[in-house]
Amino acid sequence: MQWYQYVSLGAFIVCFVALLGHFLRLLKHGNPKDLSEKSGNIPKAELYAYTTAMLPNQKESAYMHIPSYASGILFHCSTFICFLLFVIFFFVQPDLFPATLTWILVAIVFVGSICGFGLFLKRFFSRKLRGLSHIDDFLSNAITTLFQLATVSFLLSHYFAVFYYIVVSLLFLYMPVGKLRHVVYFFAARWHLGFFYGWRNSWPPQNNKK
Amino acid sequence: MEHLTEEQINKAIKLLKMRPDSKLESHLNACVHCGLCAESCMYYRAMKQDAFIPAYKVNLVASLYRRYCTLTGRVLPFLVHAKELDDKMASEMIDSLFGACTMCGRCVKHCSIGVDIAYIVHFGRRMLAAMGLVPHSLQQTVDTALQTGNNMGIPTEEFVDTIQWMEEELQDELGAEAHIPLNEENKNIIYTLNPREPKFFPLSIAAMAKIFYAANESWTISTNMYDVTNYGLFNGNNQQAGEIAKRLHDEVIAKKCKILVLGECGHGSRANRWEAPNYLQHRYEFETITAVELINQYIREKRIKINKTLNNELVTLHDPCNLVRNGGLLNELRFTVKNCVSNFVEMTPHGMDNFCCGGGGGQLAMSEYNERRIAIGKIKADQIKQTGAKVVVTPCHNCVDQLMQLNSIYKLNVKIKTIAEIVADAIVIP
Repeated sequence: MQWYQYVSLGAFIVCFVALLGHFLRLLKHGNPKDLSEKSGNIPKAELYAYTTAMLPNQKESAYMHIPSYASGILFHCSTFICFLLFVIFFFVQPDLFPATLTWILVAIVFVGSICGFGLFLKRFFSRKLRGLSHIDDFLSNAITTLFQLATVSFLLSHYFAVFYYIVVSLLFLYMPVGKLRHVVYFFAARWHLGFFYGWRNSWPPQNNKK
Repeated sequence: MEHLTEEQINKAIKLLKMRPDSKLESHLNACVHCGLCAESCMYYRAMKQDAFIPAYKVNLVASLYRRYCTLTGRVLPFLVHAKELDDKMASEMIDSLFGACTMCGRCVKHCSIGVDIAYIVHFGRRMLAAMGLVPHSLQQTVDTALQTGNNMGIPTEEFVDTIQWMEEELQDELGAEAHIPLNEENKNIIYTLNPREPKFFPLSIAAMAKIFYAANESWTISTNMYDVTNYGLFNGNNQQAGEIAKRLHDEVIAKKCKILVLGECGHGSRANRWEAPNYLQHRYEFETITAVELINQYIREKRIKINKTLNNELVTLHDPCNLVRNGGLLNELRFTVKNCVSNFVEMTPHGMDNFCCGGGGGQLAMSEYNERRIAIGKIKADQIKQTGAKVVVTPCHNCVDQLMQLNSIYKLNVKIKTIAEIVADAIVIP
């Protein structure tokens, strides 16, 4: 292993431990203790919260904003692919990948990074979004988009190895600090939502029986 | 607003730092400021102001959380938009969290992440309540309930007179054996009312009494505590909400009744069915159900006989947010209405996606924000117009009040009825 790989591994461990800390703190605090009489089915509601309720036809934030929604999904999918590749690169160097696979990965991740950049521009130019945004929002987007571009460049040439691992390290070090930690809190928020609606029998939605 | 004291700030921050569970922390850290929730909010839709975007409201509370509860917010506040709680912030919070949110929860369902925005708004209201910054008119409603036992300050004699008057009306229609029993013990049901009923809509009490009569129910109303409402749900003061809830709880125990039936009031049903045991920190010893569920049971069990052709005008249904989205009664409501009217049309959208009437979240009590309330109500008015319905049914007296105002301002030319009224119109007494 090279020095820059050690650095990225160190950053990954820092990130993992910090995010695990966030997760464990959530577990420690636990669910709200609800003393009202439960009306619905919590497991079914939780399942619904993580599946059907996430479908684009269920949320105005998706079906009224298809370009933003699609960009967000592609951006996130590409990010997860990049994380997977980060792990794989420790065992298989990218220049050992079959050419077809390399080009498929390059295409997917590149599209993801374009989507990320598009969302960055939207955040910058839309008056409505600019008012909602902080430095952290721009930085989180920028570093994730850069992570994807670094992955693309490393997939194409080993020449970019140092650049790739430095970007990865920066990303890992920033993740627990800024809004990127929503990687943990997203799941927690949906858990609470499933619990809340499930307790009251609002989720999963009931069919209109006669 | 007067200058905030250190003591006021400390009280709010203390609340923010309390961690009874992981819910608040989860939701505050989950928002990614995508802004896609904007169109789900009636305030933003109607007035297009950035401050009305739900994520903006979340950000007010989240920026305080970051400042006082996170390391990054303490060390690098500019990076994560961590803000001090000062006069400007408190003033913004009052305007946004009290004056521009009905806590309907529509944005929650449509949030790309699943942030419980209404919960965060309520938490922000709790912080403001801890600082004594609840809008005067809303606080006055709570104070009146605490001082007099009902939120409209109706004296007991006046209430009893109204009930006796309704009993006479009922007896004219059904015969001398029809009663509205007051303060009886050991009954199956203790029934509650929204004080707007004795004050402005006494016929809805008579309608429910007719249903009880038809079902041959054993029931009573307590003159000590009949108010189903609890504006403590909206002013953010859980202690006051608990005091109001306790009075009703204790009255059910004192009257030795088996079931507490919550009259047609969305927030009152929510406060007593879902929140009150948590305010009081114990499970209830008796069953608590809404009037909608009770009527539903009567129809299913054929305890009342219905002829839906007696309601032959085109009827639409307004879903109160606290009964449907936040109360799970979507099916029960539709079952009841569809069994009692011969022409029914849904609004678009409806059910979990329905728009608030505009009067929720304590807005009807806050005269400071009347103009906004009427402006957002246009969305509901347009929905009603599009159905072509002649009658709007809703099981919530707050919604009824707002809809009546919308009816007059936006010239909808519809009749507004409660569930009990529409059911009573269709009841056949053998």
